[in-house]
Amino acid sequence: MTNLKKTYLSISIIVIFMFSFSYMLVPLYDIFCEITGLNGKTNQEKIVGINEVNTDRFVTVKFTSTVAGSEPFNFNPMENEMIVEVGKIYTTSYILTNNTNSLKQITASPSVVPGRDAEYFKKIECFCFTQQQINGKETKELPLQFVIDEDLPLNTKTLILSYTMFNTTDQLGAK
Amino acid sequence: MKNYLYMLALALPAEIMADWEVNMPRGVTPTSEIAYDIHMLMFWITVVIGILVFGVMIYSIIYHRKSVGHQPAKFHESTKVEIIWTVIPFLILVVCAVPATKALIMMEDTSDAGITLKVTGYQWMWEYEYLEDGVNFFSKIDNESNRARRLNSGQNVNNVDNYLRNVDNVVVLPTDTKVRVLLTASDVIHAWWVPELGGKKDAIPGYVNELWINIKKPGVYRGACAELCGKDHGFMPIVVRAVPKMEYEKWVTLQKDNRVAETKGN
Amino acid sequence: MSANIHDIHDQHHHTPSGLMRWITTTNHKDIGSLYLWFSLVMFFIGGFMALIIRAELFEPGLQLVIPGFFNQMTTMHALIMIFGAVMPAFVGLANWQIPIMIGAPDMALPRLNNWSFWILPFAFTMLLSTLFFDSGGPAAGWTLYPPLSLQGGNSMPFVILSIHLLGISSILGAINVIATILNMRAPGMTLMKMPIFIWTWLITAFLLIAAMPVLAGAITMLLTDRFFGTSFFTASGGGDPVMFQHIFWFFGHPEVYILILPAFGIVSTIIPAFSRKKLFGYDSMVYATASIALLSFIVWAHHMFTVGMPLAGEIFFMLTTMLIAVPTGVKVFNWVATMWKGSMTFETPMLFALAFIILFTIGGFSGLMLAMTPADFQYHDTYFVVAHFHYVLVPGAVFAIIAAVYYWLPKWTGKMYSESLGKLHFWLTTVFVNVTFFPMHFVGLAGMPRRIPDYPVQFADFNAIASVGAFGFGLSQILFVYILYNTLKKDVTADDKVWDGAEGLEWTLSSPPPYHSFEKAPRVE
Ligand SMILES: [Cu+2]
Repeated sequence: MTNLKKTYLSISIIVIFMFSFSYMLVPLYDIFCEITGLNGKTNQEKIVGINEVNTDRFVTVKFTSTVAGSEPFNFNPMENEMIVEVGKIYTTSYILTNNTNSLKQITASPSVVPGRDAEYFKKIECFCFTQQQINGKETKELPLQFVIDEDLPLNTKTLILSYTMFNTTDQLGAK
Repeated sequence: MKNYLYMLALALPAEIMADWEVNMPRGVTPTSEIAYDIHMLMFWITVVIGILVFGVMIYSIIYHRKSVGHQPAKFHESTKVEIIWTVIPFLILVVCAVPATKALIMMEDTSDAGITLKVTGYQWMWEYEYLEDGVNFFSKIDNESNRARRLNSGQNVNNVDNYLRNVDNVVVLPTDTKVRVLLTASDVIHAWWVPELGGKKDAIPGYVNELWINIKKPGVYRGACAELCGKDHGFMPIVVRAVPKMEYEKWVTLQKDNRVAETKGN
Repeated sequence: MSANIHDIHDQHHHTPSGLMRWITTTNHKDIGSLYLWFSLVMFFIGGFMALIIRAELFEPGLQLVIPGFFNQMTTMHALIMIFGAVMPAFVGLANWQIPIMIGAPDMALPRLNNWSFWILPFAFTMLLSTLFFDSGGPAAGWTLYPPLSLQGGNSMPFVILSIHLLGISSILGAINVIATILNMRAPGMTLMKMPIFIWTWLITAFLLIAAMPVLAGAITMLLTDRFFGTSFFTASGGGDPVMFQHIFWFFGHPEVYILILPAFGIVSTIIPAFSRKKLFGYDSMVYATASIALLSFIVWAHHMFTVGMPLAGEIFFMLTTMLIAVPTGVKVFNWVATMWKGSMTFETPMLFALAFIILFTIGGFSGLMLAMTPADFQYHDTYFVVAHFHYVLVPGAVFAIIAAVYYWLPKWTGKMYSESLGKLHFWLTTVFVNVTFFPMHFVGLAGMPRRIPDYPVQFADFNAIASVGAFGFGLSQILFVYILYNTLKKDVTADDKVWDGAEGLEWTLSSPPPYHSFEKAPRVE
């Protein structure tokens, strides 16, 4: 009988552990993404204390955008393409227009291609760090300041930064 | 059996065979060719293993049956034999893994692309954006297929030209150019797939994926969405027309002109 | 253990009759039968849905159903067949066979056993009732990928609740199996003397308790994403839809082996019995099963090569997946070596077991091809995949279940089935299963995606053949029901040792076995 009880106990522990494990996979997955650059996720918090360096190495950065769910917004990069020196700080922006008549809230999710180089795309200032609010019929310039890390692998010559804009107005009242 | 049918298919006239396509297309890009080569390598390896294993089995079924008076042997293990048939398959797998790994490294190298095509999946159509050339448009199933596909449409789909394989706006790409394809989606996950141009990749909302194609032969290549994306998942075809570079440049200019005309018209 | 036996004795003295007997039963044979009958019913419901799918796909153009309903059918067909037909059938076989194969009076936890069965009818009633909702049943595929599954109608919480119930039922069943096998074996039956079917079920039970809670976690996250404002899987809130696929397949791949390991056990039992020769390489069979189970936890991402993984990930999951072919190969070689120089006869269970070896191996071959990432970019989400998993699940898992029923039916009922009808059933089933699923390889390679209600005309011919096969296969199973009915009605009794080549404790009992299988534990030398 004691043996039997021991069996139940250990099995129950496995069951509970595996259920929690599925939730533990969430932070583990983020770490995994960070290491491998899966999905081209970039830093979502301001990077401070960056020193500019001269590298004389130039790469092309392309910008693109997507409006999720075909919402009534225009969302486009100010510049489609920039030639930037690795290690130098650059500023550009995205233009957002709200085609509706009411206040809206949006969030933008970044993704860098090639994903393995996402970690070298460092954002100092980005509209994607927080939710953005925009009045009806307003057009806004959303700034972005970034630096390409000098450790960027040598065979990478082009980086593409994409933002997907999501309408999160339904979360507006909650806050 | 598959192979036998394949041979049989080869023996048939080409017109009949068109409807009896039994194998992966070899395609017209380096990635589709390598996928095909690895597919065929694995196919023949499994055919050989199959013939050996099933051969022994069938021999045994014919000769080692009670009704022919065969007496059961006593053996029921042999460490030597068991090690052999663990090690040999392992070695075969190592042999397969080498070209496959090489192929993957080649397939994932999107560097030095000539042009960038951004593909965005919507329920249920595609948007194409030529990042360098500033052309963009939506592409969805053509009207004729779309009418014929309705439940009880009363139309015989066999009479529809390229039923479910035609779109209103065709993607035009230059041949002999490395094209970097960026994939994303607006709503749910889709997958962009043209078999003759190589493998598929998922288009995921909020994230960007990439693949590259380099079309060696001008022509029209057809594909479809390959990830369940809701009720009209089966009705979002893809058509790519590959043309020589010169012609592609002309097409781009034409698109831009049309666009200018359109905005002026507004 | 002795306390348990007393419990069971007490119940024996006031067993209710009629319907109440079945609702309150804690007897392993009654519960095993309930599971098996339930599975048969679900097999026909899921099969009916498959026939709706195949009828629509008989020719290009939409003739019968709208695309939304078609998607509900593919989703439900998978959920019903996996959780309603195959898994309960294996649990039913475990309930019937484990006590009588290890020399125990009953399962270790009789009451828990009763609950774990009776959860199922409620769960499936709820699941099936969603089809009658205004917004319809689940239509995002059985894999429930977000964001599509989050778009679903009102059915979603009910679907998730019913999957939770199915998970609880499987976990309870698995706890019972483990407790019984570890604690109630006859004296002298060491682990390495256990029948191979017991071994495969023990390993399956561990897979269940490790994998089902992960599924529970994944679908709970889906539920909170939809209704409680979390954003595990939505990019707008910092989540990632691909993460769902990782968590889901972390469950999903072990699930695949949950559906096939007991089948390996059955085939490893039947082949030696009708070859009149001991199972070749018992030890390596056990090790192969265990290594397949362990490997199943590190290969999950091969179901999602196209999501855009880093190169290292693609290579890793390709290599680990290929590695599974090694222990699986050992099993197939061992079965062939068991037959080699045997003295074979070909009764119905043996025929199904032989067809299993050939057709499962064909499914294994396409599995090996699918493991090759570069080629998988082409195969992924096409009918080639549909052909592959139907080959391992229908002539794989389902054939093994049918073989097991023919093999042990005379033991369970004390009555012999009609051998000629059984053989007819075998030939019809085997021919039609190939007519149904073999052409799917071709259309898949030629470029037909899966989960589509309509297709371009160039795929018409093979689809028509597959549809004809599917109806033939479905109708042949009515013969199976008739055979069961015909057997139960007979009064010809079967011998205690039904098959002259069979080994194991179950054959030392009477046919049918007494209510408490082994009142006195036998000694195993
Ligand atoms: Cu789609």
